[in-house]
Amino acid sequence: MNKRRSLIFSVVRGAAAIAIALIVATLLIFASTNGAGLSERIADTVGSLRQLLVGPVFRNNGTISTKNLCDVLASMIPIVFTGLATCVMFSANQFNLGAEGGIMLGAFVTAMVAIYAPLPAGILPVVAVLVGAAAVAAMMLIPAVLKAKLGVSEMVNSLMLNYVVMYLIKYLMNTFLADKSKGQVQSYTFQDKALLPQLVDNGSKLSWGFVVAIAFVVLTALFMYRTRWGYAIRMIGINQDFAMYSGMKVAGIVILSQVLGGMLAGMGGGLEMLGRYSAYDWMSLPGYGWTGITVAILAGNNPAFVPLAAFFMAYLDKGCSLMSTYANVPSQLIDIIQAVIFLFFAAEQFLARYRQKLVVRSAEEELKEKEAQAAAAEGSVK
Amino acid sequence: MAEEYVVQMKGITKVYPNGIAANQDVDFSVRKGEIHALMGENGAGKSTLMKMLFGLEQPTSGEIWVNGEKVSLTSPSAAISKGIGMVHQHFMLVPSLTVAENMVLGMVPKKSGLFIDGKKAVEITREYSEKFNLHVDPNAKVMDIPVGMKQKVEILKALVRGAKILILDEPTAVLTTQETSELFKELINLKKQGYTLVFISHKLNEIMEITDRMTILRGGKSMGVYETRDESPEKISRLMVGRDVVLKVEKEKAQPTDTVLRVRDLEYVNEWGKKMLDKVSLSVRKGEILGIAGVEGNGQKELVDMLFHLNTPNAGTVEVNGESILGADQRRIRGKGVSLVPEDRMLYGIAEAGTIEENLISDRCSEKRLNHGMMFDMKAIHDESDRLIRDYTVLCKSHNQQVKMLSGGNIQKVVVAREFSNDPKLIIADQPTRGIDVGATEFIRKKLVELSRSGIAVLLVSADLNEVMELSDSLIVMYGGKITAYFEDTSELNDEIMGEYMLGLKHQTPEQIRGVCHE
Repeated sequence: MNKRRSLIFSVVRGAAAIAIALIVATLLIFASTNGAGLSERIADTVGSLRQLLVGPVFRNNGTISTKNLCDVLASMIPIVFTGLATCVMFSANQFNLGAEGGIMLGAFVTAMVAIYAPLPAGILPVVAVLVGAAAVAAMMLIPAVLKAKLGVSEMVNSLMLNYVVMYLIKYLMNTFLADKSKGQVQSYTFQDKALLPQLVDNGSKLSWGFVVAIAFVVLTALFMYRTRWGYAIRMIGINQDFAMYSGMKVAGIVILSQVLGGMLAGMGGGLEMLGRYSAYDWMSLPGYGWTGITVAILAGNNPAFVPLAAFFMAYLDKGCSLMSTYANVPSQLIDIIQAVIFLFFAAEQFLARYRQKLVVRSAEEELKEKEAQAAAAEGSVK
Repeated sequence: MAEEYVVQMKGITKVYPNGIAANQDVDFSVRKGEIHALMGENGAGKSTLMKMLFGLEQPTSGEIWVNGEKVSLTSPSAAISKGIGMVHQHFMLVPSLTVAENMVLGMVPKKSGLFIDGKKAVEITREYSEKFNLHVDPNAKVMDIPVGMKQKVEILKALVRGAKILILDEPTAVLTTQETSELFKELINLKKQGYTLVFISHKLNEIMEITDRMTILRGGKSMGVYETRDESPEKISRLMVGRDVVLKVEKEKAQPTDTVLRVRDLEYVNEWGKKMLDKVSLSVRKGEILGIAGVEGNGQKELVDMLFHLNTPNAGTVEVNGESILGADQRRIRGKGVSLVPEDRMLYGIAEAGTIEENLISDRCSEKRLNHGMMFDMKAIHDESDRLIRDYTVLCKSHNQQVKMLSGGNIQKVVVAREFSNDPKLIIADQPTRGIDVGATEFIRKKLVELSRSGIAVLLVSADLNEVMELSDSLIVMYGGKITAYFEDTSELNDEIMGEYMLGLKHQTPEQIRGVCHE
């Protein structure tokens, strides 16, 4: 199939998945409205959908809401990083689900550095984020080395590791690190010089972390498609036997991919902390790692598409929270909508018949072309 | 007398969706109560023909008659209902279930219509086991029993389902000598009880021992039906491995110099305890092509696997230019200048979903000339891949096309382009032209000769007799994991001699064979 046709297919398929998800969402919203008459319920549904679809950009009076838009961009930051982390790991065919625990550990370690390290302004936030990233990279060595050396399933290991990390952090917070003067379990506040500067001053908490995130999208894309290590990661993902036979150090690259994934996830957690919080208070898994998996799959494991997918997820998230604030729709709905989109994207066979048609058409055209060429060649011989 | 035939396949032609014609106008008839051999080399179309008889494949054209009745066998269950059973080469058993449970799979006896009647299953197994003198332990788990017993379970499974005609697909391939002779006794016993057996094999001595008649296939066509007792092994071997069209490759006489590859006393016993390599010793010198002929499954694949560390031998040494490469990883082996065109190109040779370019640079991606410090030098990489695509005439739109979109011949050209182009000292070419079109075949053969004449050592493994005889300067034959013949000069060889060695009818003295070591 030629490039144009496969692009058309991807677009049609994505649009169809979203359309189906929206239809399901509409039905659910309609079912959850509790107006008196049918017309009232329809009006409610339309109002809710408006919040969901255009709320993140436009105010009710039709003007553009910079605040809402910046909120969307700000909440992209952690999921861009977990999305990138997952892209790198999944590209090597390593189904490491540790980005979730990774982002939590990265946030925690960064927070600790931000609270306690006696470093000058300017250097402190950089060091804090890097230490967080390094901590998660080290954490990922556990599933990575076990996989590479002993063949233990990285999926099971990383999944369980998330909970180990979570409970470890809870234990440390409860026992040693909590600020006892606060009403809830949280750390002492970060040193002011650790906080990331904001990009826009409108209370949206859109920090410079966003710029760093975009920079890392570019870096990761370059790494994956323009360096020998990224190339080796991708080839191992396609055919590990081929990579081994070609002389690549498969075990090393398998470890590298997961360590890099951990580094990215940890960095996401650190930037999230310093950009949007003033003290550490995550006492359960934040969910960004799971969203990162959705993002990576939507992006087809290509880092370049991660911002798009992350924007889509963040937008949906914002729309749903607006919907639950202004239109009385339960925010849990977002989980259902996400699940439906995810289902259709992940289902290999979705629209397979349409794809087959395109493939057949391409093949027929190629054949015709070849015949024409052959005829032309014959003509020239005569 | 059409009634004497229990199976008649008339004018069977089978074309697979990828365009390969596996059978062309084949007639195949089996008399009631005989053991009928279906013979031919790998790829001759034996399995395809039998798959159609067992309903696994449908013929493109032709008719199948069973017991004088024209039938349409659309599935194995349709074939089973006509009394046809098949014992596959790779056992179709559930390892974690017991023998009895495997026996009744799909026809489970029930207690009060709901629960599995385990006792009944054991009884059925015992009953059949005694009736046919095929001794199995009904309560043992399949994963715990030896290969020979697994095969008996397979045969019993077919019999329990009412099979009167049994197809055995290379039943001795996995068996030891003792197990084989035991199997033959059992098969003759079955024949006495009125069963009809179709025996697929390419092992001549076995065929001569137990079959009544034989049908020989070659290149998808029938070479005729023969009474076993009337024919000599020599004639059969000629019919099986004779050559068709010969693609001539011009080559000057080889001027071999230093030894590049030195293999001594290589031994390998596979996971089922079968000796696949038995004291294999050989040397390949600069500037020569050493061919390895032999029917597939006689240790060639294992030998190649050892040379490239895709598997580990039990004993022996492998040296390239005086340095041992045994146990080294592929990077080091390649670093010594060893290239491999693998037998299974889809498994090792390529990354299907990758682009042509990505497939061309896999062995050299870390080299300085393709990198600018940390980053790939994309221009150098594009230049390299475009050059290889041009030199090796890979038919494609651009280097960004996915490899899986190419035809088999062009995929192989991608593999060959990579393996031939990185300054190799030794090229191991395992079935380099299998299943690809004539044009690509000719190209690859010419390239091999050209490279050997430029001073590269070439080890060529091929089941295609044409190919090894045409290309090799000298040649060895492998049979049963051993080198059984060495021919210094291939020009005086013919199909007949080769056939006899390949099928194990003859072998040379150890002194003659030792000649391949050049010591």
